[in-house]
Amino acid sequence: MGLSVAEALTALETLPISAYIGESWWFPFLESIHVVTAAFLVGSIAMVDLRLLGLAALGQPVGRLTKEVLPWTWGACTLSLLTGFGLFATRATHYAGNIAFQLKMALLVLAAVNMAVFHLSTSRRIAQWDTEGTPPLASRAAGASSLLFWIGVILAGRWIGHLL
Amino acid sequence: MVLDLANALAESPLRTAVVYLLGNVPGLPPIVQTIHILSVAAIMGSVVLIDLKVLGLALPSQSLSELARRLMPWTWWALPTLALSGAVFILARPASYVVNPVFRLKFAMLAPAVVLAAVFHRAMAGDSGFWERTRAREIAAKVVAAVSLLLWIGVAMAGRWIAYADYLFPEGP
Repeated sequence: MGLSVAEALTALETLPISAYIGESWWFPFLESIHVVTAAFLVGSIAMVDLRLLGLAALGQPVGRLTKEVLPWTWGACTLSLLTGFGLFATRATHYAGNIAFQLKMALLVLAAVNMAVFHLSTSRRIAQWDTEGTPPLASRAAGASSLLFWIGVILAGRWIGHLL
Repeated sequence: MVLDLANALAESPLRTAVVYLLGNVPGLPPIVQTIHILSVAAIMGSVVLIDLKVLGLALPSQSLSELARRLMPWTWWALPTLALSGAVFILARPASYVVNPVFRLKFAMLAPAVVLAAVFHRAMAGDSGFWERTRAREIAAKVVAAVSLLLWIGVAMAGRWIAYADYLFPEGP
């Protein structure tokens, strides 16, 4: 007997820890960590995106820049997801029905797919263009899409609270 | 004195205009807040990342001087953008911001963070290897970077806590 989505959301928000977060200093604490890590995530990934677009850090090979920046991006991403889940748990049903939240999740999926496609296909031939100022079109497209998706994630995320 | 300034702002036509725009342009408040957060992202990706570099935690293969030349303009452009996007909300409710203890804490951390960044990078403007010349300077650079890192994270976190000041200080300032 499977659990329906609505039941799972209700189960999540009625957990004692969800109520505890929602009623204590933990909510603003997690929220402030969420904002700081999200800003770090976007600030660091934007550096890679702008390099892919041929607009910044042209003296740096793409592969090396990516290798050195992305561990920090992933660390920030992990913290952002964990803190975001903590915030979501406090009013799971409500957030799931919030159009800005739905849009944010959709944009996150697009950003992830974009990244996966880039790593699995476009960046495979990176040796051919690693040190070039202007990477091939597919790479520039990946960089531009990433920037747009992440700006959208921040905008939609900030909009959630305005629809409460 | 700060309260006088806040009251003067509260009575100015500029405030009337800002309040009108925030209330009547659909989506303006989250859009301005997004510009503010994206500028924080620029701070994180420039001065904060350089702090991590100086501490030996990030970007090992890039030279400090090259990184600073490349990234610091992002910090110097982000600051006025942050000031303008933040000023929109301060203008809308000046009195409630200036008496907010978290708002005050934020600016008490912001001022030394900006001064540290200016001093640190001013020293490198004349001599790009300034912080790597002697062991003592290397240690000084690491101390400055650690303090700077904590201040910027503190500023960004305090920014989010401004809205919760009533929760932190239920009896009021």
